[in-house]
Parts: sequence; C-alpha cells; structure tokens
Amino acid sequence: MEQLGTGESVAFWIFAVLGVTAAIGVVAVKNLFRAALLLVFCFFTVAGIYGSLSADFMAVAQVLVYMGAISVLIIFAVMLTRDLRHGNPFNRGWAWALVICAALMGLLVFVFIDTSWPTIEATQVEAVNQVGKDEATTSAIAESIFDKDFGFLLPFEIAAAMILAAVIGAIALVRDK
Amino acid sequence: MITTPQEIITRMPASVWQPFDDPLDSGWAVDNFWAHWGLFSVGIIGFVLLVVMGFIWFERRFISPMQLRIGPNRCGPFGLLQPVADAVKVMLKEDIVPNLADKVVHFIAPIAIFVPVLLMFAVIPVHEGVGLIPDLNVGILFVIAVGSIETIAVFMAGWGSNNKYSILGAMRSVAMMVSYEMPMAFAVVAVVLVTGTLSLQGIVQAQTIPFALLLPMAFILYFIGALAELQRTPFDLLEAESEIIAGYHIEYSGMKFAMFYLGEYGGAIIQSALITTLFLAGWKGPFLPPFLWFMIKLFAVFGMIVWIRATWPRVRIDQLMSFAWKYMLPLSIVNLLIVALEVIWFEGDAVTWWLVPINIVICGALLTGWATFFKLRGGPQVES
Amino acid sequence: MTIKTELMALNIGPHHPSTHGVFRMRVTLDGEVVKDIEPVFGYLYRGLEKLAEGRTYTQNIPLTDRLDYVSSMSCNYGYCLAVEKLASIQVPERANYIRIIVCELQRMINHMIAVGFFINDLGAFGTPIMYMWRERDKLLDLFEMLCGQRFLYNYIRIGGVSHDIPPEFIPAVNKFLDDYIGYHKEMEALLKENEILKARTIGTGVISADRAINTSMSGPCLRATGVDWDLRRDKSYSIYDRFKFDVIIGENGDNYDRYRVRMGELIESHSIVRQALEQLEDLQPGPVRTETPNLLRPPKGDVYVATEAPKGELGFYIVSNGSIAPYRWHVRSPDFINLTALREMVIGGMIADLIATFGSIDICLASVDR
Repeated sequence: MEQLGTGESVAFWIFAVLGVTAAIGVVAVKNLFRAALLLVFCFFTVAGIYGSLSADFMAVAQVLVYMGAISVLIIFAVMLTRDLRHGNPFNRGWAWALVICAALMGLLVFVFIDTSWPTIEATQVEAVNQVGKDEATTSAIAESIFDKDFGFLLPFEIAAAMILAAVIGAIALVRDK
Repeated sequence: MITTPQEIITRMPASVWQPFDDPLDSGWAVDNFWAHWGLFSVGIIGFVLLVVMGFIWFERRFISPMQLRIGPNRCGPFGLLQPVADAVKVMLKEDIVPNLADKVVHFIAPIAIFVPVLLMFAVIPVHEGVGLIPDLNVGILFVIAVGSIETIAVFMAGWGSNNKYSILGAMRSVAMMVSYEMPMAFAVVAVVLVTGTLSLQGIVQAQTIPFALLLPMAFILYFIGALAELQRTPFDLLEAESEIIAGYHIEYSGMKFAMFYLGEYGGAIIQSALITTLFLAGWKGPFLPPFLWFMIKLFAVFGMIVWIRATWPRVRIDQLMSFAWKYMLPLSIVNLLIVALEVIWFEGDAVTWWLVPINIVICGALLTGWATFFKLRGGPQVES
Repeated sequence: MTIKTELMALNIGPHHPSTHGVFRMRVTLDGEVVKDIEPVFGYLYRGLEKLAEGRTYTQNIPLTDRLDYVSSMSCNYGYCLAVEKLASIQVPERANYIRIIVCELQRMINHMIAVGFFINDLGAFGTPIMYMWRERDKLLDLFEMLCGQRFLYNYIRIGGVSHDIPPEFIPAVNKFLDDYIGYHKEMEALLKENEILKARTIGTGVISADRAINTSMSGPCLRATGVDWDLRRDKSYSIYDRFKFDVIIGENGDNYDRYRVRMGELIESHSIVRQALEQLEDLQPGPVRTETPNLLRPPKGDVYVATEAPKGELGFYIVSNGSIAPYRWHVRSPDFINLTALREMVIGGMIADLIATFGSIDICLASVDR
C-alpha cells in the first residue's frame, strides 16, 4: 500500500476498523432495527474506503444507492418483521455457524492473497492524473461502460430492461385481482 | 477524503479568498492545505448558523405582513435578535427522553440529520473558486447522495421516539423523500447534460444564461422537488401540525429539537443555494460582488418558498405520491429526452438564447397538457 | 399475495392542535386509512344543564353565553326566545331588530372562525385564518361598543335587549358592511379555486342527504348535502319573514360544499344585517325591553324553541313548575348532534381527511360537552 499517502492510510484504517465493527454488530445486536442501522453505517464506511482510494464517483454512488435507497428498503423489510426489539437471536446452531463462517472467511482470505491482482505502475497513475484531471473517474467509468467499441452498452441496456421487467412483475404479483 | 490533498492544492485557483478586494492578504489558505480546510470548515459552520438565524428572522418577518401581523419586533432592531433569543431559550430547555424510546437511536438521530446538511455545503461555490471543495468533480452527485442520508435520520428519529405520531411522520417522510428524489435527480441530470460537468463550479461557469430560463421545466420540477425535500408547504404533511402534530420530531426537546430545527433550516439554505447554483447562475451577476449576488439569490429563492407556505394548504399523502410518480416523474423523463435532443442538435453547445423561448413554450405546453391527464381530486383510492 | 398488516390504534386528542378544544378520537388506522373512530366526549363537561336548575331564569342567560362561546349572542337569543314563549312576553319591535342584527353579525363571526380554522386544518398555515380573524376582530369591536364585552355578551335579555344601541353603532356597522364585501372577495380570491384545496375537500367527508336527515344534522352541514332547510325561513321565528335572503345549499355534502355554504351564508347574513339596519332607520325610537320581574315565574308547562344558530338548530327545552328557577333545562346543541355523524363521514378516508372533516363540521367543545 505504499502508493497511498499517510492521510489515506489513516482514513483507510479508521474506516476499515469501523466498518468491520459495524459488520460484526449487524449480526451480534439483538435489536433488528439497530442491526439495520449498523448495516447502513457499514455501507457508509465502505463509501469512505472508496473515497480514501480516490474513487470519488464510486464513493458517491455507494452513498446514493446503498444509504439512500437500499437501506430504506432494508428498513422497510425490517419493519415488516415481528418482535423487532429482540428479533435477532442466537440460536443453538451458533457453534456450527462459527465454524462454517470461519472456513468461508479463510477461503476468501486465501483467494485474495493467492490471486495475482493486475496492478498499474505508479507512472501510469501519474499519467491518468495528468490527463483527466477534471473528470477523471466519472468519465473513465462512462467510457468503459458506454464506449462504442469495447463498452458494455448492450449488457447495460439488457440489465435496464430486466430491472423494468422485474418491477412490472412485482406489481403484477401483488396487484389486486 | 474524496480527493487527495495534493490534488486539491494543485487545483486551487491562485486567489482563493478575494470576495471584497482581497482583505486577507491572499494566499495563505492556498499554501496550507489544513489552513484551507480549517478555515472553510469553521466558516461553513458559522455561515450555516448565521444564515439559519437570518432565514428564521427573514421567514418570520416576511410572512407576517402576508398574514396581517407585524412579526417579531421586540428583540433588537426589527426583531433581529429574536432568533438568538429563541436559540437561548431552546438550549436552556430540559432534554426529555421518553422512557420506552430506543435511547441510542433517539440520541443519534438529531446528529444524523444535521451533519449531512453541513456536509452538503462543502461543494457549494459562493464565489469563483471559493468554497471548501467547490470544484469536486462529482459535486452535484455528492449533494444528492449526502442529501439522501437524511431519509435514514428521519426514520431513526421517528422510530427511536417510540411514538405513533412520529412513526407515522417518519413513514410519510421516507415514502416522500424516496419518491421525490427521482424527479429532482432527473431535473439535475438535464442541467448536467447541458453543461457537461458534474462540478458545481463548472455548472455556474457554464451559465451564460440562467438555466431557469434555458431549462424552465427542470427548474420548476426541481423547485417542486425541493419543496418536498424541505418538507415545506404544500408538502409539509410529514410534520403536519394539524394532523400528526410534529411528525418525527414530536418527542424531541431542548438542544436535540434545536438540531432538527437547524437541520430543517439548514436544508432550506442548501436547497436555496442549489437552486441558485443550478438554475440562477450562482454567484454570477453584474455590478455587485459575487458573494452578495449569491446571498441575494439565496434569500430570493427562500422568499419564494415562504410565500408558498403562507398561501397554500397541504396535500394528502396519496395525492403527494401520485403527484410525484404520475406527474413529475413522467414530465422529468420527457424533459430529459427533450434536453438530450437539444444537446445533440446543437452539438453540445446548447447554452444559446435561441432555445430560451422554445423551451419556455415546450415547458408550458407540457405542464398544462399533462395536467389535463392527471387528476389530483377525488377521494382516496383505497379499498376498504 | 397479501401481506398481513396490523391495525394501529391512535389517540387523537384530547391535547391536539386541531381538535378545537378537548375532544378525543380513538382512531383505528390501517396505515394511513381510517378504519374506525370512537369519539370520546366530556373533557369540558361543566354540568350547565344541572346548574341552570338552581338559578333564576335571568341568571341563566350568562350560562348560555358559555354554551357556544364562539356565537354567544345566538345562544342568548335562543334561550330568551324560549323563556318569552313560556311566559308569553311580548318583545318591543325595536328590540327585535337589534336582536336580528346582532345575531346575524354573530353568525358572520362564527362562520369566519369556522372557515378560517377549517382551512388551517387543511394546512394553509396562518394566512386564511388571519384574513378571517381581521374581520372578526372588527365585529368584536362592534359588540364591545354595544355591550362592553367582546366575547361573553349577556346582551339579549328576557323581553328585549339589555340596553339600546349607542348612536355611533349604526354608522360603524354600516362602515363594516361596506368594507366587508371587498375583504370577502379577497378571501375568495385567495383560496376558492385553489387546486390543492379542491383536491383535498371535494369528495372527502361525504354524507348523503338521507343519512344527514337520519342523524338529525342541521345547519350548514345539513344544507351542504342539498337539503333546503333553514329554520329562519321554514319555521320563521321573530321577524325573519321581513327579510329577503337565500338559503345556500350544496350538492354533495362534502367538505368543499360545507366550506362554500358557510362562505355563502356570510354574504346572506351581510344582506340581512343591511336590510335590518334600513328597516331600523324607519323605526321610531322606543323601548328596547319589556319590563319583566326580576324573579320571573313562568306558568307551569314546558316549551321547546328551536332557532337557527350559526352551527345549526339550537333548541332550548325548558320545563317550568311555576317557581323562579326552571325545573328542567335542556339544550339541543347543534354541534353535538352534527358531530355524531363524524364517524360515518370519515371511515375509509385518511387521517388528513379525518382532521379536515372534523374541522368542517364546526364544533365548539363547550357546546358539545356543556
């Protein structure tokens, strides 16, 4: 992580610790509503990590989508459950759950470490910073999605159509006959 | 935390602080990153608090002649110190927490409602290049994103108070904020299409014509959306005093209530500032110093909001939702389409006086035309 | 697919900004939709009807002031008419005119408050009510000029009125009447055609004419349903047959019609006062009160006299056993009876409609609870 300056590292560690704590809280807290709020906070720390990595568009999109929309959805779903205040119980299977989760965690960590992630050279970072100073991230993302030659325009449109279909399907399902 | 400090320093204009003939021996904020952040952080908090007081005073003085009253006139000249007296009063009040409230959530909610408001000010330019990070390249998205945090805060307040009125208010508010964000965002996208930048600084600089004239439809839609986002009449049914008393902040008192109050008026400032920036050419204007222009436009927009508050009744929740989804959303999408066509037609340079009359005609035709299809009247459409 | 939901019980009142006093509604809600309401009365019960049995007939007049304090004159008037009928007392001509004038002015006051607060309940913060309040205040000034009181007048007495009108009263009333039309138009211009107001009021709080008659509704609430019934015209009492006025009726019995009926009645009352003033000018000065003994002892018997108070049919049922105090004293207060229809007007609507409908019935809790 030597490309990052000290400010970013400090911010990263703050957000990382807070985020992991919040994530543990989500499963540990008994009160479902608080668990949902902790989840929202966890989303926020993820946005903070994006920010500390200079991915400003991603950070803002994270806040907008996850904190603004998804969290409302989650909270509404939580409101529909019964026994909100003590509804997040530890049951007898916790030992098994712990083992499985630890195994999964180990697998993930192993995969992360084992994969050879493609990295860009520091000089390339400099070059990107020099070229697109104003619209660096936003336009770069736009380019990579909507570019005519090697973009993902068709998949993007298909995704939009699928979401529309899902919305209409949901309405059709719950509509009064 | 969004951009690196080094970037911000390099992007700073040569003279960061010179609204009035450079009183501060320019440059120290440029050289020192932390001094810049410190100056503007303190500055923004001070600005917000001061302007909130100004807004409270302005609203009360401005609304009272309309209501055949005089308004506050005892504290200081023209009642100018009335907000101070109110602030002192509210700080001295006892802080009451309901017995069965979710105390942690109840405690955090007022903070969560005020902090986003402060955060949003970071990207508002009050002068060319003056602001905390005025040319953040995702500026307008940042504002919309941070603004959406308030939904959670309102919900926290409503739920944490353990009061039926507050949960009703919170439910109303969440439903409303989620639905009005869409047409607002589409209206903003129209502006972004024309200017080709997300930075508020860039948007102001692109406005050789105020966008209220160039994009009247987007302006009207955004203004209505802002009224809803601010929970102002005619969309004040989240805290409808005559129905659910105060809605989500019914159980708050003392300083916590003051935070809600601050958040509400801070929101009013930020939305006025955004309308100013997006549609009224921000700090631009002849003769007067830019900062003064900014403030004049800010108060003019807020005056409009207050005027509406003094006149209209409020809508009902089902009418509110149908207005958002059946009237504003289709119109905003159509508007976006039209603007996109215009941008293509003029090959990216759509800021021309040519388009002003055309757009005004289109706007009038669409608003009235769609209004004939849209019916607000009638009883609630619910099965019993 | 259905999601199972629970009904929520919500207490609105007795401490609530728009219950117009201390009224309580236990509302059963399905989300925002009102499924059931149960009104709870009696927070302002003072036992006036029992109190009256221990006081002389004259002493009871101030009690009627406190029945419907928004329109005290009309309550005074109804009670005095009843006692006069019971004791067969003739009222001087001049007093009759003065009574009509003050009662119609009182009707204007009442409707101003009713309309102002109704729109306030709809969420129009402050302005409409202040427009109305301004005119009401002028009327209160007139009443103060007349009897030294702004609120609880005790002006109409058994056999007439307490004293003649002061000379400056008639010019002052005339000036008020001249100015009023302009202010009325201003109020109409403010909100009459407002789309939000129409959307909120048309089709909400509907009650049919049949149901309104069956629940014994009266006054503007009844007329809004399209029933052409006004005691002033149809069972004319006192000298109401000498004036020309229209009975304003609505069509659908919804909140908008009730609002329109009241606004129309403001103009009609205005015209009645005008006519009464003109006819009063032609009248010779004379006594304004028939001399009655202080300890009035009406003959044995009972009487029921109904008058068209601003809120509806205000009836006084008095039983006399020949002594100085009534044996039984019962008030048929219009707003209490109108309020009984609230439940069926609001079920199926939303909370906002409930508040608006409640406001549109125009009640005064002092009169409901007595």
